[in-house]
Amino acid sequence: MSTETDSAMRAEGQAAEQLPPTFQDVIMNLQRYWASVGCVILQPYDNEVGAGTNAPATTLRSLGPDTWRTAYVQGCRRPTDGRYGENPNRTQHYFQFQVLMKPSPDNIQDLYLGSLRAIGIDVDAHDVRFVEDDWESPTLGAWGLGWEVWIDGMEVTQFTYFQQVGGFECDPVPVEIAYGLERLTMYIQGVDSMFDIVWARGDDGVTFTYGDVYLENEREYSKFNFEVADTEFLFQEFNDREAECLRTLEAGLPLPAYDSVLKCCHTFNLLDARGVISATERMAYILRVRTLAKACCASYMEHVVGIAPATDDTEASDAAAPASEAGKGERHE
Amino acid sequence: MSSLHTLAFEIGTEEIPAFDLHKAMLQLEKLVPASLDAVRIPHGAVSIHTTPRRLIVLVEDVAETTEALEEVFRGPSAKIAFDADGNPTKAAAGFARGKGVDVDALERREENGTEYVFATRSVPAQNVAELLPGVLKGVIEDISWPKSCRWGTRREYFSRPVRWLVALLDERVIPVEFAGLTAGNTTRGHRFLAPGPHTVPTASDLLSVVEAAHVVTSEQGREEAIRAGVARVEAETGFTAELPEKTLLEVVNLSEQPTVLVGTFEEEFLRVPEEIIVDAMLMHQRYFPLYDAEGALTNRFIVVTNGDPACADIITGGNERVVRARLADAKFFYEEDLKRPLEAYVERLDEVVFQETLGTMKDKTDRIVALAEHLAADAQLGQADAADAVRAAQLAKADLVTNAVVEFTSVQGVMGSYYAEASGENAQVAQAIADHYRPRFSGDEPPASDVGKIVAAADKLDTICGLFAVGQGPTGSSDPFALRRSAIGIIAMLEAGLPVSLMKAVDASLATYANAGIAFDREAVRAEVADFFVTRTKVMLRDSGASPDAIDAVLAAGVEEPAEIIARVRALEAARVNEPETFDDLATAYARANNLRDAALGAEVNEVLMGPAETALATAAKEVNARVEEALAADDYAAALAALAALRAPIDTFFADVLIMDEDTAVRENRLRLLNRFVGVFAHVADFGKMAKGK
Repeated sequence: MSTETDSAMRAEGQAAEQLPPTFQDVIMNLQRYWASVGCVILQPYDNEVGAGTNAPATTLRSLGPDTWRTAYVQGCRRPTDGRYGENPNRTQHYFQFQVLMKPSPDNIQDLYLGSLRAIGIDVDAHDVRFVEDDWESPTLGAWGLGWEVWIDGMEVTQFTYFQQVGGFECDPVPVEIAYGLERLTMYIQGVDSMFDIVWARGDDGVTFTYGDVYLENEREYSKFNFEVADTEFLFQEFNDREAECLRTLEAGLPLPAYDSVLKCCHTFNLLDARGVISATERMAYILRVRTLAKACCASYMEHVVGIAPATDDTEASDAAAPASEAGKGERHE
Repeated sequence: MSSLHTLAFEIGTEEIPAFDLHKAMLQLEKLVPASLDAVRIPHGAVSIHTTPRRLIVLVEDVAETTEALEEVFRGPSAKIAFDADGNPTKAAAGFARGKGVDVDALERREENGTEYVFATRSVPAQNVAELLPGVLKGVIEDISWPKSCRWGTRREYFSRPVRWLVALLDERVIPVEFAGLTAGNTTRGHRFLAPGPHTVPTASDLLSVVEAAHVVTSEQGREEAIRAGVARVEAETGFTAELPEKTLLEVVNLSEQPTVLVGTFEEEFLRVPEEIIVDAMLMHQRYFPLYDAEGALTNRFIVVTNGDPACADIITGGNERVVRARLADAKFFYEEDLKRPLEAYVERLDEVVFQETLGTMKDKTDRIVALAEHLAADAQLGQADAADAVRAAQLAKADLVTNAVVEFTSVQGVMGSYYAEASGENAQVAQAIADHYRPRFSGDEPPASDVGKIVAAADKLDTICGLFAVGQGPTGSSDPFALRRSAIGIIAMLEAGLPVSLMKAVDASLATYANAGIAFDREAVRAEVADFFVTRTKVMLRDSGASPDAIDAVLAAGVEEPAEIIARVRALEAARVNEPETFDDLATAYARANNLRDAALGAEVNEVLMGPAETALATAAKEVNARVEEALAADDYAAALAALAALRAPIDTFFADVLIMDEDTAVRENRLRLLNRFVGVFAHVADFGKMAKGK
C-alpha cells in the first residue's frame, strides 16, 4: 500500500516488496516474545474494562508473594473518548497489550527493548527514552512509579513498578508494561489515522484495515454511549451490581465479586458519557467503586493469598471488615 | 604520612526523573563531604556528576587511614565521684559508662583549684578502605527523594531501581553493598550507543571511561552542549529559540548525550492560536519553538535527542510526525470549539468541581459575576465598562470545558478570549477573559484595563474568601490553591490604582457564599481574611525595602485596606527621608507622651490652669488635629504627616519648660490631659512610638 512508508524501520536492504508488520503481526510477535521469556499468554478478559490494568490478571494477581508472569491483549472501553469514528487518534474502544511480571526482573528494561526489536523497531536507530510518568488509580487504591516510553517523541508504552494495590503494599514488586497497540502500529506502519492501520493482509493482496474491522463499531457505540444508553437502567444496574458485589464478598468469592466492580465502573462511565452525573455526584460514585475494589482486594488477600487483611489504610480495612467476618473458616484455595 | 588516593563511586540506575535528579545532585554536594567528615576520613575536593542513569561521586586526596584520636572528657568533681571510703559513686559509674570507659580508668586531676575525674577515650587510626563500604552505603540511603520506590524482591527504596555500583579507591574495589548489588569496577555507557559493560582500571579513570561511552557526565556539560546546538540552529535559520528555564533543565536531564535537531511542521497549522502550538511543543513534547525576527512563531522547532547523531534524519522525521498528529488534534479541537459560541459552554461548567464544599465552576462563575458587579459599582465604572466587566466574568471560566483547554491546560484564558472574539464579544471583554488569571506570579503584569482587573480580582478574591470560609486557608508551606499568590495579585492591582475597597469586596464575597447556603462564621472569616491580606501586604512592603518600624507604625493606626497601608508606609518613609530630624524628634516626644498619658483622664483641658508652653501646645494640637482630619478625609496622607510636623516645636518646648508631675493634683492631671490630646492627634495617622524604639 502506498500509504505505508517505511519511516519507522531502517531499510536494511530488505526486498522491495517487504511490508511492515500488520496489526495482528504486531500482536502475535509481542505474544511470542513475552511467551519466550516465560509469560503466561492469556486471552483478553471477557468483561468491560477501562484499561488492561483493571483485568483481574493484573489487579488481583499483583497481590501476594507468588511469582506471576503474564501478557495479554485487552480491549479497553472508555465511553467518553468516543468521537463517532471521526477523530484519527481517539476512540471509545481500543486495544492494549499488557505485560505483568512479579517480581520485576532485574533486566526488565532490556527485556522491554527486546520486545520493540521483536516487532521490527530498531531501537538503536531511534531515540528511545524513559520519561517520568507516575501512575495512580484512586478507584483501585493503587499507585506506582515509572515512565512513559517515547520513541522519537511519541509515547508508546506505560512502564510502572507497582507499589500498592487495593491499599495493600505490593511485595514483591510487580512491573507493568502497557503498550498502546494502535499508536504503536500506526508508528510502525507510518499511517496517520488509526483507521488506516492494516490489520491483516493475505498473500493474494486482500487487506483488512482497522477501519474495516472497527469503524462501524465506533460510530454505533459513540451514538449509544452518548445518546441512547438508558440512564435509568444504568443507575439501577449500578446499585444492583454494588449489592451483588457485597453479597458475593460475603460468600468469600473475590474473583466473581471483582466482576461486579468492573460492571459498576463501566456503568458509571456510561452514565458519565450520557452527561447525567453531576460533579458532586461523580466523587460519590468514585468513592463507592473504590470501596468495592478495595474490599475485593482485601478478600483476595484473605481467601486466595492466605494473608488476613492487615493494612495501614484504615479505609481499606473498614471496607474489608464485612467480607473478612463473613469469610471466617471458609478458605478457597 | 600515608599516601593519598582518589575515590570514585557510581550509583547506576534506571532513568531518574529530571527534576529529582537535579535535587539529588545538590544534596550530594553536601551529603558526601558530611558523610566522610562524620567518620573523620581526611579528604580533598568532592565533585558530583549526574546523568539520568547515574550519580557519580569523585573525591580527591583521600587518606589511607583516619588519624588516631584521643579525647579527654571532664566529669564530676572528685568529691561527688568518690564516697568517703574512696569508692566510685553512681555518678562516677554513670559518667564512665556514658563515655565508654571503665570506671577504674577514670583519672583524678585538679583544674582551677577543684579536683575532678577525667575520662580519656582513644580512637585508633582506622583503615579508610574498610570504613568506606558503610559510608557509601549510607550516602545511597541518605539521599532524600520526592518519591521513591521498591523493585523486585528488595525492601530498599530509591528514586528508581539501582542496577549497578562502581566503587574504587584508586585500583582497589570497595565492596559497597546495596539492594543485592556489590560494587565492582565495571560501569555502563549510553544505553544504545555504547552499553558496555566497561572496565574502569582506576578511580581517576571513571569519568573518562563513561565519557568515552557517549555519556556527557555533568548537567552543566549537557546544558552547554544544548545551548551550543541551539546557537548553531539560530545561526543557520536566522530564528530565535525560546528556552524556558524549567523545560531546559528537564531536557538537560532527559538525555545522556544530547544532540540538537531541527524539525518542521506544515504551515497551515500556524493558523491555530500560537499559544496552543507552543503548549503542545513545550509542555507535551519538550521541543523548543523558534521565532522569526518579528517575534512571530515559525513552523520550525528544536528537538533535543538522546539518540545516535548518525540517525538524525530518522529521529527528526519521527518527531515531526508526532508534532503533526498533535497539531492536527489541536486544530481539530479548536475548530470544534468554534462551532458553538463561548456562552454555550458556561452551563457545562457545572461538570467541573471548583472545591468539594464550594461547588462547581458554574457556582463560582455566578459568584464572580455578583462580585464583579459590586466591584464595578465601587470603582464607579461607566455603564458600558460595568457591563463589560459583568459579561467577562460570566464568560471567564467557560473555556475550561472546551476541547482545546481540556487537552492543553496552559492555554486557559487565552483560548477563552479567542472564542469570545469569534462569538462577537467586544475587544475589552475578550481581553479581560484572557487577562483574568493575571498577575500569575509576583511581578507579573496585572490586566491592562480596569475591567480586566475587576474580573481578575473577583476571581481571586472569591477563591480566597471561599477557602477561608471552609477552613482551608494556607498553613505553613501548604497552600494548594495558591491563595498567597492570589492575594499578592489582588494587592498589586489595588496598588496599581484599582479604585475599590478590599474589605467591602470581602464582605460582598462572603455574602455570595452565605447566600449560597455555605455555613460559616461571617465575622471570624472576615477577620481572618483581613489579617491574611494585612500579612501579605507587610511581606510585600518588606520585600520592596520598606522599614519594619514604619510598617508597624502605620498598621497600629488600624488600617485594613492594603492600598492605604502601602500608600501610608510610602508617605511616612518619604517624610522621614525629607525631614529626618523632625520625625525622629516627634517619635521620641510621642513615645514620652504616650508613656506618661493616662487615658482615664480624658482630653478636656482647663485653659485657666495652663502656662504659655501648655497653651501653645494645646492650640497647636487643636489646629493640627483639624488639619490632620481634613487631610485624612481627602486621603492625603502626606499632608497629614506634614501637619504633624508642626507639633514638633510646641511639644519640645512643653517638655523643656513644664514639670508635668506637679504636686498640685489639678495641675498635674490637666497636664496629663493635654498629653492625651497631643497623642490623640496621631491616633489615625500612625503609632509614632513604634518608630522610636531602639533610637
